[in-house]
Amino acid sequence: MQSSTALIAVAVVTAATVLIAFNGLRLSRTTSDFYVASRTVKPWWNASAIGGEYLSAASFLGVAGLIVVSGQDGLWFPIGYTAGYLMLLLFVAAPLRRSGAYTLPDFAQIRVGGRLPRLVTSALVVVVGWMYIVPQLHGAALTLGITTPLPSWVGAVAVMCIVCVTVLAGGMRSITFVQAFQYWLKLLALAVPTIFLLIHLGVVGESATAGGAAFDALPADGSEPGSSAVSGGQLSLFQTISLIVALLFGTLGLPHVLVRFYTNPDGPSARRTTAIVLGLLSLFYVFPTILGVLGRTWLPDLASSSNADATVLLLPSAIVGGVAGDLLSAFVIGGAFAAFLSTTSGLVVSLAGVMSQDLFKGTVRGFRIATLLACAVPLLLALATRSFALAGAIGSVFAFTASTICPLLLLGIWWRGLTARGAVAGMLTGAVACGGALLAASTLRLPDVVVQICEHPAALTVPLAFIVTVAVSRWETAGDRSETGRAGAQARRAQRVMALLHVPEERYEREF
Amino acid sequence: MESRPERVRVTAPADAAPRLVSGARAGSPEDFYVRSLIRSQLRLAMSVAVGFIVVLVLLAVLITFWPQIHNMRLATIPLPWLLLGVGVYPLIWVGAALYNRASERNEQRYRDLAGR
Repeated sequence: MQSSTALIAVAVVTAATVLIAFNGLRLSRTTSDFYVASRTVKPWWNASAIGGEYLSAASFLGVAGLIVVSGQDGLWFPIGYTAGYLMLLLFVAAPLRRSGAYTLPDFAQIRVGGRLPRLVTSALVVVVGWMYIVPQLHGAALTLGITTPLPSWVGAVAVMCIVCVTVLAGGMRSITFVQAFQYWLKLLALAVPTIFLLIHLGVVGESATAGGAAFDALPADGSEPGSSAVSGGQLSLFQTISLIVALLFGTLGLPHVLVRFYTNPDGPSARRTTAIVLGLLSLFYVFPTILGVLGRTWLPDLASSSNADATVLLLPSAIVGGVAGDLLSAFVIGGAFAAFLSTTSGLVVSLAGVMSQDLFKGTVRGFRIATLLACAVPLLLALATRSFALAGAIGSVFAFTASTICPLLLLGIWWRGLTARGAVAGMLTGAVACGGALLAASTLRLPDVVVQICEHPAALTVPLAFIVTVAVSRWETAGDRSETGRAGAQARRAQRVMALLHVPEERYEREF
Repeated sequence: MESRPERVRVTAPADAAPRLVSGARAGSPEDFYVRSLIRSQLRLAMSVAVGFIVVLVLLAVLITFWPQIHNMRLATIPLPWLLLGVGVYPLIWVGAALYNRASERNEQRYRDLAGR
């Protein structure tokens, strides 16, 4: 019974996604629509769309799972996921919108010029995108594996195939409406079961928090779900601070988030949109947090298994049972699939765009090949690996973007002195340091102290990347004070780009 | 949608030059206004960010070095859970709202100065 309702829920969400994607194709648009009609998109719609694309498997399943496993420490993740947008608002939103860049490589090219910075940024964006898609597929595999008798790899393959086909057909391309709808679907898919469960517990007369015991440390049975970067054990103070740094500054560099900002008409509306996103995300995270707390009481066994991320999926049956539990589960499963599909397709579209432009000269054929690449690589990675904690895996991706792309964005927007070589050196240093630390933590046997640092390296690698960027930029322009030399050209470029980024638009007269 | 518009391929060549405003010369008044706008926006963004991060780090330190705080409860929920699960979010909204207002004020001041 339960598995059939789960399959029906997955089928309905999939059919709806594909239908909307293909119908979106028929809304034919002119070139100017393609670039400019987005100016009529209201901040509310835009903010919902950003939320729809951003809330991934890590948010939908992972947050509750982490709260079940590591309790209070798990609460830092939703804070970081939300506050990342505060940093985006403060440092990036309006200037990036004014830069006119569609993608991060575009921004690198506009700001420092040259081929190499663009290529390095593209390569990093592709790596980040792949790393970000893998946990979505793990989430899909987990969902199907736990709620149906199907083998778990079917979930990953199904999501990737659906995304690949819809993107290849040209659907799902920046359709603001679809992504906005996805946000509200995901919110309802968690909010309705949460509220129903709370009411049910209230009627039955049971304490939702088990009289407060839900918040105490679970009885330790000596099980540790692996010491890899994705494990959800207790955090030390250094790890907590490192995690805060990674989540706050990692959001700035997510490739699928940037494109969404372009649909704002101008800088101030980009700011208003981001402020609404903050509200929408805070509202959303209320529900996984409550479900995580319920999970600690009703599904405590999950904490010591590797399936803690299934908490959200299993809670309705565990608490209510019967037909009502099945229906609520189906609701949650549908929402989870919406999360996998929307985040993955957003990522695939932006990855394919970046790859096709830099590897295949931006042709349609190139876009198709790039789409296949953007789908195949993470699928293989997902099938070859196994996830212990989705939210933790995403935390590692944030550490990586914070150490590579964040210095380029922040220094590029706020510091005149940034040069092409400085940007490249900083990004490569951050990539090697952070990527190396994460790999070392998951593969090598190291002393505990080193593993602790390597699992959450952002507090060291992010400042390192900034220092290298600044030092190399300074070194490149030092000793060359002439107006005509490289430093002079660099300074003139910086001056013009900085004016473009920060000077407010002339109202209603901005031309495109 | 009466007539279907002609189909056009929308492309973005990789070597497209960025559309830049004609830059004011270094040392000109316009350049000075732009520099002071950037400086005031950066100062504003930094103060909101630093304030927020200091609060977060203080919370982390408080919870790590004062474990007894876990026993202070409101309706069975321990204080750290309330602070991290609920309390931080209004702080984020307030920071965002203050920043949005102040940054638009900075831009208005620039418009007034630059006479646009």
